Amino acid sequence: MLSRTADALYWMARNLERSENNARVLNVQLIHMLEAADRNILDRDWEEVLEICASYEDYMTRYSRMERGTMIEYLTTSPINPNSIEVCMSIARDNAKTTRDIVPTELWEVLNEFHLDYQDNSDHMDTLSRTKDYLKTITRTSMTAQGVIESTMSRGIPYTFIKVGKWLERAEKTARILNVICEKQKREELQHTADNYYYWLAALRFLNGYDSFIKEHPPTMDSAYVLDFLIREESFPRSIAYCMKHIEEAVKELEGGDVRHYSEELFRLLEIIGTEINETSIHEMNMEELMVFLDHFQKQCTALSSVFMETYYLSAPTPVR
Amino acid sequence: MLKDYQTGIFFDEMMQPDATPKPHYQWFYQLVQEFSEQELMEKHETAQLNFLRQGITFTVYNQGNQLERTMPFDFIPIIIPEKEWDTIETGMKQRMKALNLFLEDIYNEQRIVDEGVIPRDLVENNPYYYYDQVAGINIPLQNHIFLSGVDLIRDEYGQYRVLEDNLRNPSGMSYVFQNRYVMRQVYPELFFNHSICTLEHQISELHQAVMSHVPDGCEGEATAVLLTPGSYNSAYYDHMFLAQQMGIELVEGRDLLVQDDVVYMKTIRGLKLVDIIYRRIDDDFLDPDAFRPDSTLGVSGLLNAYKKGNVAILNGIGNGIADDKAMYVYVPDMIRFYLGEEPLIPNVETYFLSDPERLDYVLRNMKDLVIKNVGASGGYDMLIGPQSTEEEREVFREKITQEPHQYIAQPTIKLSRAPAYQSGRVYPCHVDLRVFVMNGKEMNVLPGGLSRVALKEGSLVVNSSQGGGGKDTWILSEGGGVNA
Repeated sequence: MLSRTADALYWMARNLERSENNARVLNVQLIHMLEAADRNILDRDWEEVLEICASYEDYMTRYSRMERGTMIEYLTTSPINPNSIEVCMSIARDNAKTTRDIVPTELWEVLNEFHLDYQDNSDHMDTLSRTKDYLKTITRTSMTAQGVIESTMSRGIPYTFIKVGKWLERAEKTARILNVICEKQKREELQHTADNYYYWLAALRFLNGYDSFIKEHPPTMDSAYVLDFLIREESFPRSIAYCMKHIEEAVKELEGGDVRHYSEELFRLLEIIGTEINETSIHEMNMEELMVFLDHFQKQCTALSSVFMETYYLSAPTPVR
Repeated sequence: MLKDYQTGIFFDEMMQPDATPKPHYQWFYQLVQEFSEQELMEKHETAQLNFLRQGITFTVYNQGNQLERTMPFDFIPIIIPEKEWDTIETGMKQRMKALNLFLEDIYNEQRIVDEGVIPRDLVENNPYYYYDQVAGINIPLQNHIFLSGVDLIRDEYGQYRVLEDNLRNPSGMSYVFQNRYVMRQVYPELFFNHSICTLEHQISELHQAVMSHVPDGCEGEATAVLLTPGSYNSAYYDHMFLAQQMGIELVEGRDLLVQDDVVYMKTIRGLKLVDIIYRRIDDDFLDPDAFRPDSTLGVSGLLNAYKKGNVAILNGIGNGIADDKAMYVYVPDMIRFYLGEEPLIPNVETYFLSDPERLDYVLRNMKDLVIKNVGASGGYDMLIGPQSTEEEREVFREKITQEPHQYIAQPTIKLSRAPAYQSGRVYPCHVDLRVFVMNGKEMNVLPGGLSRVALKEGSLVVNSSQGGGGKDTWILSEGGGVNA
């Protein structure tokens, strides 16, 4: 397969996953907003949402004040925010367009249909209920696209690049969410159980893990249990361990079980990350140590992404002369 | 539906002047009568939406913006009886054979010039004549024209005539398949009682034609790719469709690399050798070392690899000499010269404006003539006399007096028409037909082709960039036969 094609598939998957994740986080926030009585809590939450879905700093540099409508627009349709849902969806579609000879027709159609329906989005965010409809459409579009991929694509090279993109994006987002929430807890140093409960519940909801979590654990939202679940639970498809394990398996399959010279570095890094996750004892760590771990893990994800891209020559090919 | 239909002074593909259908449209006519107006409206909508949802679009540029547009589809097909089609097919093969011999000759011995059939300056002054770059190259099968898209029109007597040869990068073949596909999806009823020539094996014919151009030195199985300028190109859908259907890699210039005169593509496992390139990039953008140095679409060193015989390039480089509007005039002479035959499908009568007598005549009769720039295509830089304003004629008078060799003139042909259904009513529209001829070891004409229709009432321009639409084209066996 052409490197450019592999690159397009990888980024298509990452951007699609990113829009779904950001849509979910924003949607959870919109629900919380209705529930939160305290005005201060409400504003503080937006800061976290901006940090998870984009960059709080970039937003403040541009707008300097937190106004609900502005923030929603910034996260959904704004062309200025490189991580806005609209921008991610459009990158995903462009990448699908250049790989239409590879991806299933229905996958292209799902992404194209979204594009056609929301081409003129100037008035889509003017009410809360419209915003929520929009977010729901994003989630549905992403899930439909994944359904098409799972049910129609041969388990070959193109499939692998799509899946690796998705898992890497997920793992990174999970780490980011946990990091932001740990930081928040530390900053406020509120040992209030009620607040604790609220933050870790939010983390589970941001990652669509609440239902799975309470099946296994008491609904007390003990931070160590939640963190352990979201980092190490191998059966939960958004946990860091799950994503990393699947990337490792996919790469092994891609290489037919062999470690060759060009893939050495990739396998080495995957092994290190795997060990780091396995040997970390969440229950024995304090908040400070956890944040160091999560910070480190986020860096490892970035490193893994670039090693993966180098191994398969994914970075945009440049003319030789 | 066709009660008040007027054929007027034009040849109509479907209807007779007395508002009854021609014999080969009889069945179709009857089947359409069974649709209610409501059904026709709904089906029409469904068909248009089908193209949009599937993203079967071309890109138009409007004030710096890129717009994705679908080609409007009209459900009333152009039906051609098999016997008539046989003549077209034979005529096309004859024409392509002669044009290919001409290209081989003009880049080698130049007999046709030496014997005075074609004036030397017409060849040597042609901007698309790349003698220095490609003369004397021994190309696979000595075949320069792997795929052509010949535009045919019919005059007021129903006589088919060639309007353009298109030997460089003819586009639109994907539309032939998609028109048929959508037609079958949305109007399955209309296929009853018709025995229509299938398109099923045509992609494999095309693939075989590509693969038959394998270079001499190639060992093992040859690798072919389709080279596209990229997703912003107006015909990108066409490129994508053909690559996907043939199962060959769709590459851009930046995916290829020439090392020691061998072409490679950049894959996730490193470099992979490429033997055959079906390119959809024009000659002058193909290789910045040999043609336009500012081209970012091409591949450095590609021409040298081609010269060394390490890679086949389809269509051949330098075909532009044979399909421009001036050389067109000489194609019937080429057929006589190389094949010793009379042309089966005639040209449209054409005057050179470089001839002072002709120029004088044209200047006096601009209102009755079509004037075209020999280097332009897509319906641009063209004056349609009968539909022009005094100002427009003035502009052209200026242009052709300044650069007479740059223009040709043709009598306004009463282009044939066919009924089209748009916005709930049926009205006559001018049509033409692009016929695709594939050539490898064997020559093969795609049955039917792309019928293009000028949907703007009275318009003569069928190009999709200017509001033209498409129709399915049916080759009907047994002159309207009964067995589906």
